Amino acid sequence: MLRKSKECIAILLAGGQGSRLMVLTEDMAKPAVAFGGKYRIIDFPLSNCVNSGIDTVGILTQYQPLELNAYVGTGRPWGLNRNFGGAHILPPYAKSSKSEWYKGTANAVYQNIPFIENYDPEYVLILSGDHIYKMDYSKMLDFHKEKGSDCTIAVLEVPMEEASRFGIMNTNPDGSIYEFEEKPKNPKSNKASMGIYIFSWKVLREYLIRDEATEGSSNDFGKNVIPAILGDGGKVYAYPFEGYWKDVGTIKSLWEANMDLLDPASGLNLRDPKFKIYARNYAQPSSYIADGSKIVNSYVAEGCTIRGRVENSIISTACTIEEDVVIKGSVIMPNTTVKKGSVVKFSILGENVTIGRNVHIGGEKEYYPEDTWGIAVIGKNKTIADNTVVAPNEIL
Amino acid sequence: MNLAGVIFSNLYDERFGVLTQNRTVASLPFGGRYRFVDFVLSNMSNSGITSVGIVTKHNYGSLMDHIGSSAEWDLNRKNGGVHLLAPFASGMSYVYQGKLEALFSAFPFLEKTPEDYVVLSDSTILCNINYEEALEAHIKSGKDVTVIVTRAKANPAVKHELVLTMQEGEVKDVTVDYPATADDTPVSMGMYIMEKKKILDVVRECVARGRHHLERDFIQDSFYSGKITLGVHEFTGHVIRNDSIATYFANNLDLITNEELRRDLFNRARPIYTKVRDEVPSFYSPQSTVADCLIADGCRIHGDLEKSVLFRDVYVGRGTVIKNSIIMQGTKIGEGCYIENAILDKNVTVSSGVKLIGAATAPCIVEKGETV
Repeated sequence: MLRKSKECIAILLAGGQGSRLMVLTEDMAKPAVAFGGKYRIIDFPLSNCVNSGIDTVGILTQYQPLELNAYVGTGRPWGLNRNFGGAHILPPYAKSSKSEWYKGTANAVYQNIPFIENYDPEYVLILSGDHIYKMDYSKMLDFHKEKGSDCTIAVLEVPMEEASRFGIMNTNPDGSIYEFEEKPKNPKSNKASMGIYIFSWKVLREYLIRDEATEGSSNDFGKNVIPAILGDGGKVYAYPFEGYWKDVGTIKSLWEANMDLLDPASGLNLRDPKFKIYARNYAQPSSYIADGSKIVNSYVAEGCTIRGRVENSIISTACTIEEDVVIKGSVIMPNTTVKKGSVVKFSILGENVTIGRNVHIGGEKEYYPEDTWGIAVIGKNKTIADNTVVAPNEIL
Repeated sequence: MNLAGVIFSNLYDERFGVLTQNRTVASLPFGGRYRFVDFVLSNMSNSGITSVGIVTKHNYGSLMDHIGSSAEWDLNRKNGGVHLLAPFASGMSYVYQGKLEALFSAFPFLEKTPEDYVVLSDSTILCNINYEEALEAHIKSGKDVTVIVTRAKANPAVKHELVLTMQEGEVKDVTVDYPATADDTPVSMGMYIMEKKKILDVVRECVARGRHHLERDFIQDSFYSGKITLGVHEFTGHVIRNDSIATYFANNLDLITNEELRRDLFNRARPIYTKVRDEVPSFYSPQSTVADCLIADGCRIHGDLEKSVLFRDVYVGRGTVIKNSIIMQGTKIGEGCYIENAILDKNVTVSSGVKLIGAATAPCIVEKGETV
């Protein structure tokens, strides 16, 4: 038997439904949602791991895992098909004594203690599958080791007026955290938790077991485990991250993050040969851009046919945009067709959608009262009949 | 699948001039994101073939790099998989001169692989073919060798490596390196199916006699002397024949305008696989206009493009006009350039304001890695 160990392994919490993404996560987990033309949300944490030298990732799934399982597969697109380590999909499983679903984030990791022990790690990195960002976790691990920390939480400085929307870390001058407040009304700091934790495994193991034994605990990292470590005087540090980071848990934020790709000032740049974001590839030919088309400030992925006008938009793999179509400020997810004469503005069209002819979806903000405007969304696999009008903010 | 594949990667290298100076013909880029070999390799994979030998001669660095572990074609198999067959691996002390000798390099592979039948294929003819059907037809026909053919029009200017004369469904005559003299003449696609045992015997005998030309020394000769029977299997889909720089150039541009060809070649049920490069999607700036182009991923386009093929990771600066051209992977073109009827090989740098104009029949070629 091979006896080896890993210094640090990652656990990716990918079990959530992401119900605020509505129809986009109706039949698949949030980390499987398409992003940026050819990616899925999970590509970001997985690529970050690989680019940070972490080659062992346990992916905890629970809600509608089919799509995610198929997508991750053997982990080969990310170089995570390793003999020892690599990507592992870990759904809840039946045990001889007690079988249950993942009750909370901490419980999900608790149930997978045997998986973690298999690698005898010194550190465990806990990630979630709802953020778009590029981060070298090895720098955070260096910080964790340097501070002799029990738990290190990555934080991002957000504008003070937005701080009440986040989990806020109140820190001492040396970066240690003395208090954690979830969405405080009167924030004392603007250091927002990014939902990325590094634990020393011995410490985490002990607290997971203790948390499991605590009656009434909601088995959550943010609510239970970290406050417990803090309460015992454990060393919890905030690791300051600088760079682009966005929670894409809502329709609006998912749309905004896609639009950030088109804005050079946003700080979101996926074009970096030294830090590539990897994705599963679907063997599509080059895109055909027809005479009479016009593409303005947009990204177009592979396998598309573009005959209409595309402006400030993201067109994903294998989409067809027919003649006399106008796509503006929108995200078109993979394998979707927009037929002749249709207009799609400020919308998200899910995967495998067919938009009939002369359909009108969404509209510009300035023509609608502020409380009625929003991003229009068409869910996966839907077909919209010819001449249909879908108002802004409408979700089908 | 009781069929193994053998691909010839270096044949006809000399026909493509500087484009094959540093690569095999099999690794010639085509259609925006492919190499020639992707088509035949994907066809074999999609047909259920799991053992493939690729015969190489020289310059196969780029081919090895492209194929890697062959996982993209799903050919990273426990049993079988892709075998790159270099000349030295066969113990040959000299480089081969023809397909028969090239096959000699494939002997260890052919002897070891368990399949009873073998399909031999060139890599310059591109199509989307199902070899499973061809094998069924071969077995049913009871012939020794099945030539996969298309129908050619009479054209004295175009020579084919093997032209067949048929009478009542039977092969009556074969001519080598000869044009089709009548319309609807069956001509070889450079793909042959036969029993493996037969190949081994024939190759051994021919090489021993210093004969190396598969079509002339084996097929034609053996047919005339009655040693083998010949059958044909007609392929009716689109076929792209690349036999010179001019046809290669025209075929790339034809892929843009011929939608039916694209649909047939890139059949969604039988995709053509290639090496994954993890490029970002292509970006089109507000200043760009793109009309009738094939664009791969990772490009950044600020200029005006017309009827051109852009491979991955190409940069086109503002005010640059590109017409009827092939721009290969990683090439960077500055601002205010004018490029027409040109082939810019990989990683070329074109400074701002440069004009490169070729003719439709003789495109201007810039070699790999050059700066203009």
